[in-house]
Amino acid sequence: MHEWALADAVISTVERLYEENGRKRVLSVQVLIGELQRIEMEVFSMGLQNLLSERPFSYDVFHFETEKASFRCNACGSEWLLEEHAGLGEEELEAIHFLPEAAHVYMRCPACGSPDFVLERGRGVTIKSIDLSDD
Amino acid sequence: MIDPRLDVIGKRLEPVGRIIPVSSAKGGVGKSVCAALLALSFAQRGYRTGLLDLDFQGASAHLLLDVRLDFPEEESGIKPLRAGNLDFMSFVAFSREHAVPLRGSEVSQAMLELLAITIWDPLDILLIDMPPGIGDEIFDVLRYLRHPEFLVVTTPSRLVLHVVERLLAMLSELKVPMVGVIENMVRSGTDSQAAQLAETYGTTLLGSVPFEEGIDDLLAAAARGNPLPETLADGIRSITARIAPAAR
Repeated sequence: MHEWALADAVISTVERLYEENGRKRVLSVQVLIGELQRIEMEVFSMGLQNLLSERPFSYDVFHFETEKASFRCNACGSEWLLEEHAGLGEEELEAIHFLPEAAHVYMRCPACGSPDFVLERGRGVTIKSIDLSDD
Repeated sequence: MIDPRLDVIGKRLEPVGRIIPVSSAKGGVGKSVCAALLALSFAQRGYRTGLLDLDFQGASAHLLLDVRLDFPEEESGIKPLRAGNLDFMSFVAFSREHAVPLRGSEVSQAMLELLAITIWDPLDILLIDMPPGIGDEIFDVLRYLRHPEFLVVTTPSRLVLHVVERLLAMLSELKVPMVGVIENMVRSGTDSQAAQLAETYGTTLLGSVPFEEGIDDLLAAAARGNPLPETLADGIRSITARIAPAAR
């Protein structure tokens, strides 16, 4: 259910931009969902819908796009996708779900075993774009 | 790209009264010990108290407070763990006793996430156990938290005082509110320079914490309800009284 906290964050950002831009009508909000955080979309959507009551924009303006998580090793330069990374247990995945940086605790570069890697994309919830009406 | 977490951190910390990062420019001076002692003392005096451990790579406050490391409960966010009558949050809830090999930008990301998803109950005081040094965590605390009041820990060591002076100088230069300085690991008869140093940078020496053999175990026992040795309890009580004089 911590998806609700992230839904709350998204709504807070949209609301701030709505206010800062003279309360222009919100036409669309593109939300990027990174694979690493394993957001439960049903719970996240339910959070958005519940938290949107009495807001000046509705759930219909939200559009979701998922992004695969990919990594690059600082030590050997190897690149890999989350889906190619074997061996993560349920507890480890749960820790990464709460806090994606826990990936650095439980994952190693598949090529050289280094913990010194970067998450290049696909971390968690970000807002890709917000379109407001011109009128 | 817009990071929505930045817009919700203020709301998450709305129920929190004072935010006191316990910091030092030098490692090994007892920041975690002081933060844990202060947390226990405030809670004992009736303050609703929380402790946030932002020393991700050297997390130890959970050991001092004998915190059981379960995944936090979820309830429209995550709920802090309980340590006696304290609220507690730390990366260690997710990393357990594994190494946490993070670069600076990853530390910032993890800190933002914790601040954005942790749902604090109303607190009078939130102490933050900061990592040593003047780096990402200090800048992030200054950037994302409203009105942090820094508490700086030193020891009587000349070397530590020199390094701590750099932090005091920077906080003073940035006009960051400082609640004061604590001198830790003080042995009787020590000729202290800490008071003078604090005054130089417009703050005050709140008091001294005596050197105590086996402090880690004493603290864990205190977190379970056992009394601290009298000199230690007196020292920390007088410091908490100076930080927040009016007991609830």
